[in-house]
Amino acid sequence: MKFSKLFLIALSASIFVSCSSDDEDSNEPQGVYDNGVFILNEGSSDQGTVSFLSEDFSVFTKDVYTAANGDDLLGKYAQNIFFYGDNAYIIAGGSDVINVVNRYTFKLVDKISTGLKTPRYGVVKDGKAYVTNANTYSYINPATGNTDDYVAIINLKTNKYESKIDLNATANRLVEENGKLYITEPYDNTKLLVVNIATKKLETSIEIGSYADSIEEEDGVLYILRAPYGDRSEIVKVKLSNKSISKITFPETLDRAGYMDIEDNKIYYTSGSSVYVINTNATAASTTPIVTSPASNVYGFAVNDNRIYIADGVYTQDGAAYIYDLSGNLLKEVTSGVGTNGFYFND
Amino acid sequence: MTLKIRFAFCLLLLCQIISAQNDSIMKLKEVVVSDNNLNKYSNSQSVLKLGDSIINKNEALLTDLLNFNSTLYFKEYGRGMLSTVSFRGTTSSQTAVIWNGININSQMNGSTDFNTISGSDYNSVSVKAGGGSVIYGSGAIGGTVHLNNDLDFYNRFENNLKLDYGSFNTIGVNYKTNISNKKWSAQIGFSNNSSTNDYKYVKKYTWKGEQRWNRNGEYNIFTMSANLGYKLNTKNTLKLYSQTSNTDRNTSLITETETPSKYINGFNRNLLEYDGNFGRFTANFKTAYIFENYQYYADNATNNYTYGKTESLITKADFGYTLFKSTQINGILDYNKTTGTGSGFGTNTREISSASLLVKQDISANWKNEFGVRKEFTDNYKSPILFSLGSSHQFGKLYNLKLNVSRNFRIPTFNDLYWETGGNRDLKPESSYQAEVGNVFTFSNITLTQTFYYIKIKDLLQWVPGKNGIWTPQNTDKVNSYGAETLLGWRKQFGKNIFAVNATYAHTISENIDTKKQLFFVPFDKATASVSYSRNKISTYYQFLHNGFVYTRADNDPDEIIKDYMISNIGADYDFKFLDSFKLGFQVLNLFNEAYESLENRPMPGRNFNMYLILKF
Repeated sequence: MKFSKLFLIALSASIFVSCSSDDEDSNEPQGVYDNGVFILNEGSSDQGTVSFLSEDFSVFTKDVYTAANGDDLLGKYAQNIFFYGDNAYIIAGGSDVINVVNRYTFKLVDKISTGLKTPRYGVVKDGKAYVTNANTYSYINPATGNTDDYVAIINLKTNKYESKIDLNATANRLVEENGKLYITEPYDNTKLLVVNIATKKLETSIEIGSYADSIEEEDGVLYILRAPYGDRSEIVKVKLSNKSISKITFPETLDRAGYMDIEDNKIYYTSGSSVYVINTNATAASTTPIVTSPASNVYGFAVNDNRIYIADGVYTQDGAAYIYDLSGNLLKEVTSGVGTNGFYFND
Repeated sequence: MTLKIRFAFCLLLLCQIISAQNDSIMKLKEVVVSDNNLNKYSNSQSVLKLGDSIINKNEALLTDLLNFNSTLYFKEYGRGMLSTVSFRGTTSSQTAVIWNGININSQMNGSTDFNTISGSDYNSVSVKAGGGSVIYGSGAIGGTVHLNNDLDFYNRFENNLKLDYGSFNTIGVNYKTNISNKKWSAQIGFSNNSSTNDYKYVKKYTWKGEQRWNRNGEYNIFTMSANLGYKLNTKNTLKLYSQTSNTDRNTSLITETETPSKYINGFNRNLLEYDGNFGRFTANFKTAYIFENYQYYADNATNNYTYGKTESLITKADFGYTLFKSTQINGILDYNKTTGTGSGFGTNTREISSASLLVKQDISANWKNEFGVRKEFTDNYKSPILFSLGSSHQFGKLYNLKLNVSRNFRIPTFNDLYWETGGNRDLKPESSYQAEVGNVFTFSNITLTQTFYYIKIKDLLQWVPGKNGIWTPQNTDKVNSYGAETLLGWRKQFGKNIFAVNATYAHTISENIDTKKQLFFVPFDKATASVSYSRNKISTYYQFLHNGFVYTRADNDPDEIIKDYMISNIGADYDFKFLDSFKLGFQVLNLFNEAYESLENRPMPGRNFNMYLILKF
């Protein structure tokens, strides 16, 4: 019983990655973990972990959180990391907590534990974090499980929860652009939610279809990858100026496309264990992989500084991260933790 | 009086069921055992019987009793929380728990939570190692644990009351009354065990330096039992066993920030049994109704829960015939209908019929053979033909050789078959072949049993991620499990001084055939020991448990283990001899304040205390 339940939770927690690489490039290392990538491992029955790989591949630490904080437990179902100032914020959705650590030493600074209920993903705007919370799930709470999700607003100067914005729908990944949050959720929501940060109000949602997950913003356009069961995957483009929608529909061979990332005006996306690339202005999908990884379960994906990062999420033992150049040459493979699900660049 | 003492000794000793001993007791006091076949068809296997006096010296819940006194390994989600077993290197659903002859493993998940059962609700708890599917059906691969209520037919009116009070506000009230004459026998009782269970985690602090403790660990287990026997005449006996239980537990938090949840589960079991004894011919009919349910509240603060419940109707007819003086046969027909409803698996019904034949041949008092075969019939899965073949030969007074070969199985559960989404209706039962050799040495006051076994299990059910990331059960793995078990019992009386020593040791290799890795949560080594000394009204005892390390992952990652641990308990009691017995006792548990856990991040309590009062009147 218990196990099946875990599986279900693991399943519903089984989503993706957003990468944040907006920081200024100062190549002077500010601590052990500067200039490299944090690899987030969700965990399963045990706690989540964070691995670190330096940019030159010379340093790899499998569990930086424990290395820095000893006995302290990071929490279950590590879902997402976001950065602000000198801190990294690690969201552990199964433990209703955000661990605040110094991004260069990974020493614990604080724990945010109020106002969170199954937190998922976070973004930062003007010193405040906006974190989606799945709250209850409908299989436990049929009445309001699909309408009680919210965005928690956290003051990053005090690391305290301030207030929340009810969404009256399900919510998962999000991006922030021009004072607005754009939120997707694949399973129980066919709309793109729009939240105005200034008014803390939900604006008119945009119908984009079910199974919408990875979301990126580039030059005033939102790119959303959706991959319905038994139907063609597609990239939905939403022009923010007029909310107009256009689509790139994938051929059937790319059904159940997984993840998407945008880097240097190119859209990188995965299907199965392969990675494909098209220009942001392309009108058709590419079916020629640039990388085919040995990952049996691609569970996290990012493209950053001419490198492609692929996470092989394994639930019962350590997974792996594969790093390729843009020509598809394998540069590095590391053994990460259980349920490897994302890459976060500490530049 | 001497009779009583002898009886007590027999229980004290963690001995094999040696039929000679049993016979002598039965002749002296007529006891109708609830599970005839346990005595009749286990000559070729080892049975460890834990009686009253052992039960009373352990903490109330069955996990502790079996952990400290048998080779069974337990994985506990913290003190009093979910507790699952591994016997001879098998999984938690490959040990069958048998209540008065009826298999009571959950129909939903296939296993039994040993922290929902209080040992004092039974007259004895027996641990039978090795295969038993021919008699007990699904799950009897590693072994079986028997919860027995035996009915006495002699004049008596006896009340037992045990009161416990211990650390973490742990309170136990156990009451049992036995009223019987030569025609009637009644055993009525209840137990309630509860604890706020807010123990400190030894040497564990939060990042702010605060002492960590077991949050949201409260539990309460209530059980009520009534067992009745009526002898219509010398040939015909009717028995009714009834038990109701409710376990209300919060589930202890791993980290301080988690949402507290709780789990409530309960059962109701009723068994009506008829025994007819007509010389060469015997008949036994059983009808049982078993109900089990659970409710899981993911958030204590709300009233939302997921649930599951099953109702089973079991009927059994067992006809025995003595062919010759030396040879008895039993033919058993069995029908079982289970309906389950749950938020995870909808409503489903499954019907299983089975026929089995058991033969027992006592060539001489020293040489006994047994044979059994069973076949199940059901639409749900293909069922293998099960068998068991055993022999026991006593060479002189010193040495008894036991051999047993059997084929056993474990059927898919409601969760495996019907879980939405992921349940797989196309599953085979797990099945095993098993062989064992037992050597029992008895010299003066020592009994030493050594058993070597080999189990080959195939079609092990595992939930694995399938297409689209949905987890689904598959018959994936093959496992070889082999090892040795040693049980030692010694008892000696010097004048008024009585010494007893009991020890168990199990060495277990349980290896996935494809990967050559040890199954996770199966220790290579486990040892227990207990030493007791009593003189007149005083009794003292010491218990010891060593659990070897276990891997927590299938790939045997050496960094991912639960460390080995050693736990010691001591206790003493004094019988004030008011009434029949008035014992006041005191125990120190985890004497050396060992920081340990049996599951990652689930610390167990450090040194703690318990006081008890046992009244018999």
